[in-house]
Amino acid sequence: MKKRRVLYIFLSMFMFGICVAQVEKRLDFSGYLQSDIRFIVEDYRGEKTGDGYRFELNRNDIKGRLKWTPHDKVQGVVDARFRFYGFNESERLHDLFRSTKIEPYDFQINEAYLAVRGAPFHWMDFRIGRIIQTWGTADMFNPTDNLNSRDFSDPLDYTAKVPNQMVELAFYPASFLQVQVVWVPFFKPSLLPPSAQLGFSVERTLDNCFLRAPVPPLDRGQIELLQALFASIPPCDLNFTNAEVRIVKPSQSLRNSQVGARVKFTAGLGDFGDMDFSLSYYYGRFSFPIAYTAVADIKRAAGSTLDVSYTAEVMYPRMQVAGFDFSLSPESKQVPGFFGELALIFPEKVVFGLAVLQNGRIQESLFMSATNVPRTPFIKATAGLDYTIARRLYLNFQYVRGFFDEFNDRYGIHNYFVPALETKFFEDELKVRLAGAWNLDDLSLVVFPEVTWVAVPSVEIVLGSFLYLGDTKPLDPMSYAGRSKFGQKAAGRSVAYLKAKYSW
Amino acid sequence: MKTVATVTVLGLWVSFAFAQQEDAQKILEKMDAVNYGYDDQTMELRYTIRDFDGSEKQYDIVMYQKGTNKRLIRFTSGEVKGMATLVVGPSRMFVYLPGYNKVRRVAPHAMSQTFAGSDFTMDEISNPTYSPRYNAKLLKEDDNFWYLELVPKEGEKPLYPKVHVAVQKGTYWQGETTYFDASGAKVKVMTCSEPKDFGGLRRNSVIVLRDVRTGHSTRLDILSFKVNQGLKDSMFTERELIWGR
Repeated sequence: MKKRRVLYIFLSMFMFGICVAQVEKRLDFSGYLQSDIRFIVEDYRGEKTGDGYRFELNRNDIKGRLKWTPHDKVQGVVDARFRFYGFNESERLHDLFRSTKIEPYDFQINEAYLAVRGAPFHWMDFRIGRIIQTWGTADMFNPTDNLNSRDFSDPLDYTAKVPNQMVELAFYPASFLQVQVVWVPFFKPSLLPPSAQLGFSVERTLDNCFLRAPVPPLDRGQIELLQALFASIPPCDLNFTNAEVRIVKPSQSLRNSQVGARVKFTAGLGDFGDMDFSLSYYYGRFSFPIAYTAVADIKRAAGSTLDVSYTAEVMYPRMQVAGFDFSLSPESKQVPGFFGELALIFPEKVVFGLAVLQNGRIQESLFMSATNVPRTPFIKATAGLDYTIARRLYLNFQYVRGFFDEFNDRYGIHNYFVPALETKFFEDELKVRLAGAWNLDDLSLVVFPEVTWVAVPSVEIVLGSFLYLGDTKPLDPMSYAGRSKFGQKAAGRSVAYLKAKYSW
Repeated sequence: MKTVATVTVLGLWVSFAFAQQEDAQKILEKMDAVNYGYDDQTMELRYTIRDFDGSEKQYDIVMYQKGTNKRLIRFTSGEVKGMATLVVGPSRMFVYLPGYNKVRRVAPHAMSQTFAGSDFTMDEISNPTYSPRYNAKLLKEDDNFWYLELVPKEGEKPLYPKVHVAVQKGTYWQGETTYFDASGAKVKVMTCSEPKDFGGLRRNSVIVLRDVRTGHSTRLDILSFKVNQGLKDSMFTERELIWGR
């Protein structure tokens, strides 16, 4: 009922926006309507082999952005999205009485803020509210961009972020200089793809016998000791349940606020063009979960069966990030554009601890701990170039050190090559794009070919696929770092998709 | 004596040619001044992209200009609505991409790309005037027009190595303009027509740029045109691009 009321309010607001925007130019209403159908094109990356070649998604989004400018110096923005999931979620009889089970949907406000410019000084602007910030000069892989967490709930929409409430002050003391200071009172973690839970799931054979459990972030010797515990048990007698993962949430104290500051300069380099660069600082938390503790509870069940339940805790370690980014556009049209970004991260140390209970009693000899994230500073970076050949073919190549979710824990920091090629035909009516990311350490790959057709202005039809290539099994079953980045099942499902979008 | 006469004739010819060159250059400068010689301009434009098969699509933009090299263009319709382009110099151009919520610098290598699917290139958008980059030579004239040939000035490397432009006598309005590539082949033809009164300012209201190789064309309809509105320099900054998001 409450949800429906929100829907009415939202629709009323948008209808009001549409009507008034026509007669009053101080209101601007834009947005899109998008339909997205996805089909899983493999059957080996699910929880169980054989699950695949079926629809994964049948989604419809309505997104609206209302911008109100009551005065040249004041702006109010509300950017909201309704998402209809398109799958029937009813499982019991009483679900059939509720439309939200037959037609599940959710509502999200992406941005809702008030912005004031030129006040209290002509060289100062500020914004307060729910905001999405974007820092850095690299394409999407921005290690200095940490104010908003990532929203990977839809892996194909990998540029999405989790909105957050913040206060932003921007200073423009000179034409070549910008200063931005942002305070984010509360931490919000990144949203993970649904497949992430497979990272904690136990693998079984087709006849439901134990095959493999996730490896904890411990030393090799400790992992061997753990595995020796079960070595003498026949796999079909091992009843390993999937891990229950709990989250250690930071409290809502001032100390858990995040702050960021960035200074952006433009400097002339003579005939070589000019360079935009920024220095930045961030204090806050890493937004992806890091393994913190675990308890394995082993109980002798009926007969020879051994029940093993595994409870884990993950946490979000603090970090400080000193950042530098640049973008260099040489005057010559024959020379590519260069950009780069470097983040020196000072992490909070995380020690992982594991306890084993046997029939309710703690096994002191099996209490293990190991440093998961050392205090040593580490670097995440992106360096890239882009170039246009013969007016049609746009190339963008990036070297990325450290993917979004890497934090120098026992998985380490990996290296990636991220190429993208794009060409347009028929006066930009047809766009063909081939992008990918290649893990240079384990050689797994994600490939992302896409064709976009602008059928008529405002209407885009997109056909594409998102394919994961790599070994689903751990490359080294005795190491936390042994899993393949894009090959592991937790990375996601390979899909083909069809999208239709109308923008206004 | 013969030598003196030859030198005198040669000198007169050179000075005549130089004077003609200078006149042609002045005509070109005056044409640029008529097009862009205001403190600032604000235009609402509708551009219609017409394919060789006759199919059309339309987009609306608002363009603010200060002097000759500062431009802010906001897209107000279509799938590119919300996108904005800022030009602050011949090779300094930024674009705001609403999908990424990000301001990106447009590198010079991308200047030859088309501007949002139209027949205009990024380079033409960021370098609208001719006289700073081209030397003009009078090819011919008739009762209504001067016909100029433009070739790049030394050190300048514009997108088109040769341009022919007709300039209307009296008004200095830009007439048919033909662009050539390095091999001398005709690439594009621009025509300006349908003079209209915009609050006391009379100028052509329709500009059509046609690609002669493909038959594809872009028609710009000037819906409104205002000048000297007191646009501030601060309007042509990244700060303004961010503010308008």
